[in-house]
Amino acid sequence: MHSNELFLKDVSGFLGGYYAAIAVMNGIAALILWQRKNQPGWAIVWTAFASVMMVLGSLALSGVEGTVPALPQALRDLVNTLSGPVNYTVGTTVLLVAFFVYRTFFVQPMVAWTLFNVALLLMGLSMADQNFALIVMKADNVPIVGLVFLLAFFTWVATKQAVVNDERIARGEPPMEKVNDEKVLVWPDLVYTELICMIAVAAFLLAWAILLPAPLEEPASSVKTPNPSKAPWYFLGLQEMLVYFDPWYAGVVLPSLVIFGLMALPYLDFNKKGNGYYSIAERKFAYLTWQFGFLELWITLIILGTFLRGPNWNFFGPFEYWTPYKVEVLNNVSLTQVFWTRFLDQPIPVAAAGSSVLTQISTVLLREGPGLLLVGGYLVLLPPLMAVTIFRRYYAKMGFIRYMVMANLMLLMLSLPLKMVLRWTMNLSYIVSIPELSLNF
Amino acid sequence: MADRKKMSVAEILAAARAQKAGGDGAGNAPETAAAEPAAPVEVEATTASTPPAEPKPAAKPAVGKGGGRPSVADIMKMARQKSSGEATAAEKPAAAAAPKPAAAAAPKPAAAKPAAGKAAEKPAAPTMAALPRDTASILAAARGAKPGPTSKADAPASAKPQAKPTAKAKPAARPVPPKPTRPVVAKKAAATDDRRGFLSIAMGSFMAVGFTALSVTGGLFSLGLARFLFPNVLAEPPSRFKVGFKEAFPAGKVETKYVAQYGVWVVNSEVQGEEQIYALKTVCTHLGCTPNWLEAEQKFKCPCHGSGFYKDGVNFEGPAPRPLERYAIQISDDGQLEVDKSRTFQEELGQWSDPASYVTA
Repeated sequence: MHSNELFLKDVSGFLGGYYAAIAVMNGIAALILWQRKNQPGWAIVWTAFASVMMVLGSLALSGVEGTVPALPQALRDLVNTLSGPVNYTVGTTVLLVAFFVYRTFFVQPMVAWTLFNVALLLMGLSMADQNFALIVMKADNVPIVGLVFLLAFFTWVATKQAVVNDERIARGEPPMEKVNDEKVLVWPDLVYTELICMIAVAAFLLAWAILLPAPLEEPASSVKTPNPSKAPWYFLGLQEMLVYFDPWYAGVVLPSLVIFGLMALPYLDFNKKGNGYYSIAERKFAYLTWQFGFLELWITLIILGTFLRGPNWNFFGPFEYWTPYKVEVLNNVSLTQVFWTRFLDQPIPVAAAGSSVLTQISTVLLREGPGLLLVGGYLVLLPPLMAVTIFRRYYAKMGFIRYMVMANLMLLMLSLPLKMVLRWTMNLSYIVSIPELSLNF
Repeated sequence: MADRKKMSVAEILAAARAQKAGGDGAGNAPETAAAEPAAPVEVEATTASTPPAEPKPAAKPAVGKGGGRPSVADIMKMARQKSSGEATAAEKPAAAAAPKPAAAAAPKPAAAKPAAGKAAEKPAAPTMAALPRDTASILAAARGAKPGPTSKADAPASAKPQAKPTAKAKPAARPVPPKPTRPVVAKKAAATDDRRGFLSIAMGSFMAVGFTALSVTGGLFSLGLARFLFPNVLAEPPSRFKVGFKEAFPAGKVETKYVAQYGVWVVNSEVQGEEQIYALKTVCTHLGCTPNWLEAEQKFKCPCHGSGFYKDGVNFEGPAPRPLERYAIQISDDGQLEVDKSRTFQEELGQWSDPASYVTA
């Protein structure tokens, strides 16, 4: 960790180019808007923004502390103290809900462009922070930053098409995909496009491999685990899940259920609308369930695992130094302990040494009784309960088997956020904890 | 039409043969045979009722076709004629030639189509813009003003006009293979049966040899592979090793210097009111990473999912479901502590009370 001055000198060249690139991008956008003649006001706004970016770029090129544009230290400290797993998850959830509720506002191109520029500007300002840059500019993490922007863009495009279609359907017009259903030939239209994409991707990969060499690590050793030890980025959601569950559940059952659930989707989705075109209003339940599972339970966990989980798998704020000596007071207890020790104020039942197998089993069942009842109730009682309450219409349409599969998949998916919340609020490690059989839930 | 410029291979061959044959006295017999396939087959079939001049086509392929490129069938035929100059041989080629035009006719229209399609594309273009743009109608438009053949059945009919110009021969003197020669073809099959029989025997033995060799090789390979499971040298550290005298482990110490080589922490700590020295296995009970001993916080902390263990190995934070495991430890003959990694003791199974799992300090 060298001094901040040296770091700023190192990063100034990059930041100068970064701001210049934003300026050029906005200049082009302004030019296009100007030529279209329908939004001259926005063209002027983006021209002004581009010139501000040019100024920031030249300031950044100086490489002197105080001149390089950066977020004020007080703000960084505030962000660090505010960030934690709870706030992160709650924050992303609120953000996603807001994007969903006000989607007609956010799909406007100028709003999206503004948000994109704000995100780029914030990233540029943050990049002047050494701790932030250390993580974000790691060769492993650069592509993930790109992927985050790419995912945001594609989500936006799909939402925009869905919003346009929903408005058309509300007016009684057919969706855009039905109006503009021009068919193209596989040869040459598709094959040529694919060829061009192939060449472009190959060139991109080549440039990437040259500019961002893969980081080589020390030789592997079974007794030496890097700290932090991270899964490949696409499995960081899994790794985050493993923080809250036993390996058999988070590492085997849940991933299998994800695959099984994806395969079951076409059979569970009885809604014939939205077939072949984007629509949110016509299939709200399917859309929300999917986006919750994908964006909330997979993507945000990947971002969390990549950028915010540091040594010892502790949570670190975006501007915090990743020290392996960060002290975090945690004392997780299982439901068994909570129930017997805190609630009943009794010792946890233990089978006497050398007692028969039957006694041992019954002791374990008694000990884990509350947890087993809770899990059993969750998985057995809730589906029929939901069938007569919130999912009454779905149950009638789907029939018993399809409804049961759907309800159980849904409950098992929700077990992850539930367990996370329980961990944060009650410091709960396991609901059912039978280490004798390596069975914990 | 279009094929004035672009001729298919079959047409070029037909034209070439027609020119060559024109030099011969025997004239247009082979030419019609070769070029006529372009013309619809049904038409030919109806005109076939005219009595054919039998010897002509028989003589033709043997002599006249020699000018062009002789087909395999022709060569075979000539060879047979040389060896046995029978009268039936004269009929045979005619019969052999009979199915040929029909077979050649099928690919013909298909080959002619693209040429016609390309030429027709230009005039059709303006009308295309107005039409609904689905694949079938685009293809139909590309094929010409009138809808092109949509099935193989009407394909020859549409190919008819294009084929005409090349077939300059008079259709009047068309030698058509005689019907009665069919049984002779059937007789020929007997000859191929013999050849097939030979081939099947030859191939069968080849297959037998090949599969035997394959299975033998596979078996040997598997045996060789199995041999690799038992290496000559086992580069494993011994499961029993000495870690020094008791005095090297004062109360409260967690010795981490054996982690890199043996994967074990030797700890002196108070467990249930008794001061014990025990050897903890450096494998997290969650997913098997190696935790780090944090002296300042007096805990083992796993870098993978954040599990934490007290000094005595009991889990207290993160997802680890059970305490760390202990290795067997004892005082050896020379008074040093000896760790035995071949035996482990798990707390949740009540094995930590086993005297082999610790040494009283």
